[in-house]
Amino acid sequence: MLRQPLSRALALSSPARVAPLAARRYADAVPAQPEKVEVFIDDQPVHVLPGTTVLQAAAQVGVEIPRFCYHERLAVAGNCRMCLVEVEKSPKPVAACAMPVMKGMRVKTNSDLTRKAREGVMEFLLVNHPLDCPICDQGGECDLQDQSMAFGSDRSRFTDIHFSGKRAVEDKDVGPLIKTIMTRCIHCTRCIRFASEVAGVDDFGTTGRGTEMQVGTYVEKMFLSELSGNIIDLCPVGALTSKPYSFAARPWETRRIDSVDVLDPLGSNIVVATRTNEVLRILPRTNEEINEEWLSDKSRFACDGLKRQRLVTPMLKDSRGNLAPVEWEDAVVAAARALRDCPPDKLLAVAGGLADAEALVALKDLLNRLGSEHVCTEHYFPTQGAGTDLRSSYLLNTKIANVEDADFVLLIGTNTRFEAPLLNARIRKAFIHKETDVALVGPKVDLTYEYTHVGDSASIVKDFASGTSSHEVMKRLQQAKRPVVILGADQLKSEEGPALLAYTQELAHKLQENLQDKEWKVLNVLQRTASQVAALDIGYQPGVGQALAAGPKVVYLLGADSGVVTRESLPEDVTIIYQGHHGDVGASIADIVLPGAAYTEKRATYVNAEGRAQQTLVAVSPPGKAREDWKIIRALSEVLGAGLPYDTLDEVRDRLSQVSPALVAYGDVQPNNYFAQARALAQSLQKPVSGKLDVQLKQLEDFFMTDAISRASPTMAKCVQAVLKQKNSPY
Amino acid sequence: MAGALARVIRGTKTNLGIVGPLANINNVPVRFQQTQAPPTKSKYGPLADQDRIFTNLYGRHDWRLKGAMARGDWYLTKEILLKGTDWIVNEMKTSGLRGRGGAGFPTGMKWSFMNKPSDGRPKYLVVNADEGEPGTCKDREIMRHDPHKLVEGCLIAGKAMGAQAAYIYIRGEFYNEASNLQVAIAEAYQAGLIGKNACGSGYDFDVFVHRGAGAYICGEETALIESIEGKQGKPRLKPPFPADVGLFGCPTTVNNVETIAVAPTICRRGGKWFASFGRARNSGTKLFNISGHVNTPCTVEEEMSIPLKELIERHAGGVCGGWDNLLAIIPGGSSTPLIPKDVCSTVLMDFDGLVAAQTSLGTAAIIVMDKSTDIVKAIARLIMFYKHESCGQCTPCREGVSWMNKIMYRFVEGNASPKEIDMLWEISKQIEGHTICALGDGAAWPVQGLIRHFRPELERRMQVWACTHGPSMAEKLY
Amino acid sequence: MSLGKYLALDKLANLFNILKQNGGIRGTLYKLYRQEEAKDGVLVGEDKFGNKYYENPRYFYGRSRWVEYNEKFHLNYDASQVTSEWYGWLHYKTDLPPHQDPSRPKYKWMIDGNENLSGTTGQYTPYSTTRPKVEAWMPKKAE
Repeated sequence: MLRQPLSRALALSSPARVAPLAARRYADAVPAQPEKVEVFIDDQPVHVLPGTTVLQAAAQVGVEIPRFCYHERLAVAGNCRMCLVEVEKSPKPVAACAMPVMKGMRVKTNSDLTRKAREGVMEFLLVNHPLDCPICDQGGECDLQDQSMAFGSDRSRFTDIHFSGKRAVEDKDVGPLIKTIMTRCIHCTRCIRFASEVAGVDDFGTTGRGTEMQVGTYVEKMFLSELSGNIIDLCPVGALTSKPYSFAARPWETRRIDSVDVLDPLGSNIVVATRTNEVLRILPRTNEEINEEWLSDKSRFACDGLKRQRLVTPMLKDSRGNLAPVEWEDAVVAAARALRDCPPDKLLAVAGGLADAEALVALKDLLNRLGSEHVCTEHYFPTQGAGTDLRSSYLLNTKIANVEDADFVLLIGTNTRFEAPLLNARIRKAFIHKETDVALVGPKVDLTYEYTHVGDSASIVKDFASGTSSHEVMKRLQQAKRPVVILGADQLKSEEGPALLAYTQELAHKLQENLQDKEWKVLNVLQRTASQVAALDIGYQPGVGQALAAGPKVVYLLGADSGVVTRESLPEDVTIIYQGHHGDVGASIADIVLPGAAYTEKRATYVNAEGRAQQTLVAVSPPGKAREDWKIIRALSEVLGAGLPYDTLDEVRDRLSQVSPALVAYGDVQPNNYFAQARALAQSLQKPVSGKLDVQLKQLEDFFMTDAISRASPTMAKCVQAVLKQKNSPY
Repeated sequence: MAGALARVIRGTKTNLGIVGPLANINNVPVRFQQTQAPPTKSKYGPLADQDRIFTNLYGRHDWRLKGAMARGDWYLTKEILLKGTDWIVNEMKTSGLRGRGGAGFPTGMKWSFMNKPSDGRPKYLVVNADEGEPGTCKDREIMRHDPHKLVEGCLIAGKAMGAQAAYIYIRGEFYNEASNLQVAIAEAYQAGLIGKNACGSGYDFDVFVHRGAGAYICGEETALIESIEGKQGKPRLKPPFPADVGLFGCPTTVNNVETIAVAPTICRRGGKWFASFGRARNSGTKLFNISGHVNTPCTVEEEMSIPLKELIERHAGGVCGGWDNLLAIIPGGSSTPLIPKDVCSTVLMDFDGLVAAQTSLGTAAIIVMDKSTDIVKAIARLIMFYKHESCGQCTPCREGVSWMNKIMYRFVEGNASPKEIDMLWEISKQIEGHTICALGDGAAWPVQGLIRHFRPELERRMQVWACTHGPSMAEKLY
Repeated sequence: MSLGKYLALDKLANLFNILKQNGGIRGTLYKLYRQEEAKDGVLVGEDKFGNKYYENPRYFYGRSRWVEYNEKFHLNYDASQVTSEWYGWLHYKTDLPPHQDPSRPKYKWMIDGNENLSGTTGQYTPYSTTRPKVEAWMPKKAE
């Protein structure tokens, strides 16, 4: 299968393009390392593998060669010529980004020839660059600015701009997220390469030749990708900038706080840029084990949702049934009275998708102290068989980075592209660079790469598990050395969920038994929300179905906004306490509203789908009277007379580590086992299944607004509009 | 286009990367063979009629299979094929044939790169018939009047490198040439000369014609490969060289039409015969195109190393208005630097002779300019051509050539500062050698040639402008 | 030195003069309460707000011209209530009061002076033009 231009094969297979071995446990067989060759960078010897480029070799000894078009995660283009360096015995300077090292090569990165070459290229790049830095959003973080300071000439020779001016290029409209000022483009083609290699959207390209060459979509259309925002980071100049962030701030004005994204279950690492207590933008932070250096559009652009529809003050229902702002004291007392007056078995707490582990454990402890055991999550997971007792049953056991090493991926009832965009980017990377094949059981969706569509019937999974299937995919699975099975957690909600999980466990176990590599994990369950894993770890019961049926009197919603709890499903006289940060589904049915903090406003623990605990940090303070969630619950417990035994965050985390040490092992994933036990316990559940698998997020427009934050975001709303408009366009 | 490659290859032989060591080993026998060629020869040309390879250059005879066979094509081709790869390659090395596309890389050596142990990938021969260099018109004569020489050449070259098929990338504008070539290929297929079991030798070989869409850059070998693959014709980075990763990712050799078309005759008459023409390291016969201010512009096959003056006087009827009316000559197609009259009088038309004169043989397309020529405007027009044809992929060529174009057109008027002549020279040096392919070099050299030989003319124009219009704005700015 | 002066009778006369001019003891005490001083002088003029301007060269320079604000201001008088016409005379910029000065320009566009309202309820307060950083959720009103 020809998945990439073969001319690029050389560059693409270079060792630096895949995640470093530290991130992936299963380095591909580590085939007898070829002998390292010695090269000299500015007379410093360095030993590198053959096939390494001069630029990478130089990086190893700490010599940074300027570049525009080269990006370590994209194919080599070699067209900016900024990385020209002198190589001894070569009359011409060579492009360091594309030239593989040769034995004994002597590279001079600071010689006269090199410097002159750089200066020349810099001058050419600036010939037609508008130099509108004062009004350019890239100013301050612009590679062209930095490098022209470092490597450019100190004076201008552009007499011709007074005779004939500079080139001007029409701006393109590629959607509500990316602003284009194409006159600034230096034609490095990073965006084109990202679109075709990582995002899997071949809409970008160049038209025209020579000076008339333009980067753009061939016909004007939106960049229909869930990863489109990354080309803003990739663009070395101000040609592609963020539309929502345009003219908002300069990079040196912002404070940058490392944090973790919670809008999808992967927990991508982010940097929150703030100024004057306001989140201005969110940028990805490199983490080879999770998001590399990409970020999905929802995680990146939904941050303006943090400023709208916020709960800024406690609220109580007044005599006319309207929520009215009150002081904390009144709200807490009212909530405490409701909780105290309620018989413990009629008490129910429901945690939503954005709840942090500290709040989860505090809420559970509080309810336990009141004598109730009814703490649930919004999303269901089968409790029969091993249920949630064995961690391996509900985690992404293979780990995100290791998916790159898989040779066959079976997706069951999940659209990874929109449920976990960066996991999908990993699968695509494996598909492109490693010839990994993918099969899907479920509705036909566009995953950005080719896959074998097996069907959408749940019985296919049963046939796979029992080995009775004669499908070609079954053979491929059995032959695979490193198969991966990913089950979408959404499928477990239905009646047949337990059986489906049981069959998937059976299938994964059978595959795993035949593997040479005993360390390889086959079974994966992809959760839908950032809180689910932590909630299950802490001991929440998955799903609210049974608890709602029991007719609770007081319902405590901890950011539960997905709409599974409704007034209609509850008795008339129920009291609903909502604690959260957005006025969304939950707050609109509440009697008492306690304003909490969003993920950028608290130091909190989130556990991603792999079971990796990570923490967010305080980037801005909670708005108005809002407070950190665990503190609210702690205060409530005090009023109730059931004071929780922790007063500081460290003490809450001590409590978390009592529940499970994995919850506070930040950055680490605990290895999971007991697959065999889980499968044994689930064997009785293997009942015939006949339903159809369906996924919630099928199209790009479904992707943008999935939770309280993104539903409040005007940018996300614009995205949905733009996608729908693009779908109606003939192009 | 390919003319521009000459200097690059000359300079970078040791820089060929993976093929470097191989090149050095193979260099030895070539030199050895050449020392055996008559060392005392001091007069080159004119070429005797019996030594002409292209006997139907002017289309006076039948170009189809019957006529071609009557002129000796396809004669004992099977025997040549059966002599095997090594024999053919060796014969090419003996002949000392250097690539006729302009770069002048030894053909025998190039073919021998293909004979590495196979890794299962097929190999391809690609024939570069994208003759777009202004002034050059040799390949079209071959393709329209002697297409069977090319088809037979493909077969022999294909055998020499073990290729499965040949792709002839023909310039889109060459409609008649493409149709004649297609007819010739069809005839050869029908006669069993190519295709399955070509010429009865047991060797399977296909020939395909691919018509381009009129981009000059597609004459660059890697851009040509991209174009055949159906992509934008933009040169690839080297390394990897096409001999390693070429057409469809397979080992590929790209040769000029003339190089391929002379191969059968070399094999039939022997490498030594071919090597007997011309000076050492510049051996053989060559098609020369003479255009411009001459009395009878023509394409003619001549011996290498023939003096330029003799070539023009003998075949082109001399310069209009006599030799004294000569201003300058561009000796190798538009991308080579021009040489003024005094150099023209003595220079020998071969690779080394022209390099010594700070220019290049290129495709041997001689453009003669007499004293009526506006030499600055002529060069400016050439730069405009390169500006138009630059693919826009890499920075120095995209930005630099259009900048040079702007400056050159100001120079034509004289609306410039004399200081800008040095600036232009520097800009051309900033382009040269810094680009992915040789188009940037080809655009820089004409300018360098102009400044080298006609600087007083440029300064005179600026003075004239300053007299009539006052000092140029550039004077104040720069 | 005359006897009268020796016995400070002129001072006494002044006192009586002051008492007389300010409306007797009661009136004088009221003036002292309101203005913290009571002087005798010649009424030079009155401006359009009803403030009265006095002069008495007996007092030393700087205190020889003064204004008594309109009764309606009571204690809330303020220097900015002196109209711009009288300002010059009051501060010794000119010796001609406005109604006796023929060279004083009068234009149509001249408007009456305003008093400074700072510190009163009529004061100017700048309002914020920045958007709120966070838009709060407004719960739906039950009908």
